[in-house]
Amino acid sequence: MDDIIEMKQIVKIFPPSLVALDDVSVTFRKGEIHAIVGENGAGKSTLMKILYGMQPADSGEIIYNNKRVNFADPGEAILAGIGMVHQEIMLVPQYTVWENVVLGTEPVSILDHLDSRKARQLVQEKIDEFHFNLDPDAKVEDISIAARQKVEILKLLFRNVSILIMDEPTSVLTPQEIPQLFSELKRLRDNGHTIMFISHHLDEVLELSDRITVLRKGRKIGTINSGEATKAILAQMMVGREVIFESIRKQQSAGEVIFEISGLNYTDSEKRQKLKDVHLQVQAGEIVGIAGVEGNGQLELVNVIMGLIKPQSGTITAQGREISKDSILQKRKRIAFVSQDRANMGACVPATISENAIMTHHRLNGSFTRWAGRVLDNRQIANFTSVIRQKFDVQMSSGEAVFKSLSGGNQQKVILGRELLLDAPFILLDQPTRGLDVGSIEYVHQQIMEMREKNRGMLLISADLEELFRLADRLVVMHRGKVVAELITDQTNITEVGYLMLEGMAYEA
Amino acid sequence: MNIFTGLIKGMISAATPILLAALGGSLTYYAGIFNIAMEGMMLSGAFFAMLGSYYFHSWPIGILFAILGAILMALIFILFAVVLKMDEFITGIGLNLFAVGLTTYMLRQIFSVKGAFSDPGIVSIPKVDIPLIKDIPVLGEILSGHNLIVYLTLLATILVSYIVFKTRFGLRLRAAGYNRTCLDTSGVSANKIRIWSLILCGVLCGLAGAYLSLGYVTLFSEGMSAGRGWISLAAVILVSGNPTGIALISLLFGFTDGLGLFLQQSLPSQFTSMVPYLATLIALFVYSMRLKKKLTV
Amino acid sequence: MKRKVLINVVGILLAFLLGALVMILQGYNPLETYFRLFEYSLGSPSKISYTLTKSVPLILTGLSASVAFASGPINLGQPGQFLMGALLATIGGLYIDMPPVLMIPFLLVLAMVGGALWSGVAALCKHFFNMSEFITTLMLNMIADFFTFWAISYPFFEENANYPQTPLIAKNGWMPDWGNFGSSVLVMLIAVAIIWFIMNRTTAGYEWRISGQNSLFSRLGGVNVNKNYILVMLLTGALAGLAGGLVVMSGPHRFIKGLGANYAWDGVMIAMVANSGVILTLLFGFFFGILQTGSLGMELITAVPRELIQVLQAVIVLIVVAGRGYFETLFAAMEAKRKMKERTT
Repeated sequence: MDDIIEMKQIVKIFPPSLVALDDVSVTFRKGEIHAIVGENGAGKSTLMKILYGMQPADSGEIIYNNKRVNFADPGEAILAGIGMVHQEIMLVPQYTVWENVVLGTEPVSILDHLDSRKARQLVQEKIDEFHFNLDPDAKVEDISIAARQKVEILKLLFRNVSILIMDEPTSVLTPQEIPQLFSELKRLRDNGHTIMFISHHLDEVLELSDRITVLRKGRKIGTINSGEATKAILAQMMVGREVIFESIRKQQSAGEVIFEISGLNYTDSEKRQKLKDVHLQVQAGEIVGIAGVEGNGQLELVNVIMGLIKPQSGTITAQGREISKDSILQKRKRIAFVSQDRANMGACVPATISENAIMTHHRLNGSFTRWAGRVLDNRQIANFTSVIRQKFDVQMSSGEAVFKSLSGGNQQKVILGRELLLDAPFILLDQPTRGLDVGSIEYVHQQIMEMREKNRGMLLISADLEELFRLADRLVVMHRGKVVAELITDQTNITEVGYLMLEGMAYEA
Repeated sequence: MNIFTGLIKGMISAATPILLAALGGSLTYYAGIFNIAMEGMMLSGAFFAMLGSYYFHSWPIGILFAILGAILMALIFILFAVVLKMDEFITGIGLNLFAVGLTTYMLRQIFSVKGAFSDPGIVSIPKVDIPLIKDIPVLGEILSGHNLIVYLTLLATILVSYIVFKTRFGLRLRAAGYNRTCLDTSGVSANKIRIWSLILCGVLCGLAGAYLSLGYVTLFSEGMSAGRGWISLAAVILVSGNPTGIALISLLFGFTDGLGLFLQQSLPSQFTSMVPYLATLIALFVYSMRLKKKLTV
Repeated sequence: MKRKVLINVVGILLAFLLGALVMILQGYNPLETYFRLFEYSLGSPSKISYTLTKSVPLILTGLSASVAFASGPINLGQPGQFLMGALLATIGGLYIDMPPVLMIPFLLVLAMVGGALWSGVAALCKHFFNMSEFITTLMLNMIADFFTFWAISYPFFEENANYPQTPLIAKNGWMPDWGNFGSSVLVMLIAVAIIWFIMNRTTAGYEWRISGQNSLFSRLGGVNVNKNYILVMLLTGALAGLAGGLVVMSGPHRFIKGLGANYAWDGVMIAMVANSGVILTLLFGFFFGILQTGSLGMELITAVPRELIQVLQAVIVLIVVAGRGYFETLFAAMEAKRKMKERTT
């Protein structure tokens, strides 16, 4: 088989300091199914988006059919024969299948009249050619997600692409729908198409692909033939060698239960059940880590706890008190919250640093206000900001500077400072070190450990297994909205947890 | 002409400018633009229509000028909201204010009057009597004898419906509103589509303005659009852009306008003038309650 | 900080340049025209006082819009709230009489209540029925216009008058003038100071501003966003109503048709160009007052119609706001480039 695409030494940096791709080189052969695997943040999507013209690389080059190419936008890539099916379905939900497929290449008759009969006919022909089981007149919002995915593929085939990039296609499918997708992809490959398949599901990757490239933290670890790979090998390549790293937890016995979730069920407005009978307990002085691939219910869990969405059933107790019906301010007396969405939930970016720092404190802590809480005491507020600056080592010019002017790491430190200094007994941490540089991560971990020593209880959600193993006393693994395992950190290992995260069940040798 | 036919005729008359502007609004609505500048476009259209008709002693030129004037406003909207990516809401408000200032200024400058300009030299758009139909009892009185623009509006409603739902442009137009990323990745520039929708909106609002100053009455007065642009905006929002729905709602608003005139016999005129705006509030109430119900289900 | 000043100044200058262009095309002399404009409005202490007095309704309605926009609610109802405030104050002035030291504050309070009631209607519609305040305040503007027209034509009509108007309000309710300096200016300055204090020094103002910038963040922080919404609507309605009351009490001393003129829409414009900041609203309000007052003198001497100033105002708003957005993206892009360079070196 010949090489059809060669990506050479691709570098991509997101300002100011996040290295998404560090000198990555991958070669794709014509007529193969080539999987790209790695954890969240490994750089898989970024690499393919660069190929597809959705983002420019900072350095490196791409060779396609022996010619140097640099697609300025997906339109150019499609014209060249490369098409990408995104993780989020990018169709017009209100349109029918055929309308979506022809959009942009519609057949017309006089006066721009849309020749819908011809369009439908052409689409039906393509459906038959590739044996997709689709009804061209069905509205996209009415069909299953698996079918929507097929429409996306069909749309690209309609424009005669010969190379398909699939970004985490199985993440939106039920287990029953996956085999059909695979047989279709294999059929396409047998027809001469080339397929790039981004995923982190090991079983699927091994079943489907011919060759597998593994990325970890922006670096290419290697490319192997799937015939020579096993799940264990892949898992290890993906998450890192089994290093006995220093757990920085000191021995300490946990106290009473200060936070508990019981029987939580949540189904969203599109009738998908996101949380299935979740039970959790956090004791004072312990850190419970939630491990799981993003999209398995963690976001919904956080939103339910904070009161942004209402579960269909279940209770939430903090310090023995049922808090589900409380106002958010009441909840904040007991819960500190570090959100993963820094820009929208964790901070008010256009406001000043001080204004971000005193949120919630301004109501819960009387020392920041005078006249019965009506007037702000700016001196105290400035002091408080200084305290945060010192304690959390924030590089900032002054409290009056705009929050936006801080680097990501410093922004996170301010947010942490605000939340941790609330003196709440329970702290909810969602991806607290995402996007931070190594130094900041160290610092944040130290602060979290200090809180643990002060007997606070913490729920730590993280996509970084190393971080979880470093900090958490116990691990809860979530998979498709359910708690599938509760483990004591010192009694398990990364490979076992990694496997549980990816497959939802224990690894059997 | 008895009360009944009078009421219906009045309803159609009053509905016409609202309907035209709302049709323009529906095009931009489908394209996903938050367009609140119909008021300004209509006012410009009214002024330029009067200008063209007066100086060229011809109402077709008046209509042409009206359309050009409104398109000018649309171009300014495009410059700020689409090209410079300024907030559409602020652009709309700024544009409306600019239109008021501009038309008042030009009224002063060109005609040396303040408040309003009326002159026998302004040629109004003629009424049309449809042969045969006009002789049908009752129905004939209702259907025939309207201003030319009323019939153009009927045509426009059908045309807009056709464009939005049956042409390639319409498919892309709605896609731009539903999911503009999808349209862009399908190889069609969503921005270009939005620009076209704004220009077409200008054409329709220009016609509405021409009707105001050359059809409904034959003069231009400051601010004569009198909030109709806002009512047409409400109409677009209430039916989510659907042209047939817009036609019905516009007739309803036109009816309340006519009802207002009718009620003038029993109520002070100021209260009757309020009727269309109260009606808008009631319609908004119904709409919001329905939306609330949908979300809580 | 300096950048902000620069953007505003450049925007204004550009607009003036465009205005000069239009004037040249029409055969006027822009330099002389602009000179007359500023000379008429600022040429002497008494002229400055006069301009300041004329700026009062602009600044207050501008403040009403600014506070609202900065805090979240889109209150476009200043025209209607202005009229209702003016009406209520007038009614008070027609039926009640007290010594001035009581009468004046009483009427001012009535004006504020009138405005707040009117904006309160929109607030309740949003709170209970989720009706967009954008549309309700706009509709209420038209309704208030007609309602006050009716009120001064029938129940509160002055007998034998040629135009619809009310009788004069009690003399004790007239705002005193000191030469060209109207006492309404004092009231306005006090209001501005109070609003500044509220927005920048109180807990409520803090919550409002943050909610206006990121309501999700405030909500998560425990702020009662719904309650604050209603409070802001009431306060901003009161401000617009106050403007109406002041105009009646210091101007014609009765409610006449056309009282509101364009004041209240100008208020929205001022808020936009001032980016909803209190001090900038004061400054831009005064600046627009200069333009509007000066335009009278300009017209008297150079015959350039004062409506050109209306157009100029709108152009200033469009250019300054567009320029602000453009410059911000420009500066952000420059920042990003600089950081990228630091990284790769």
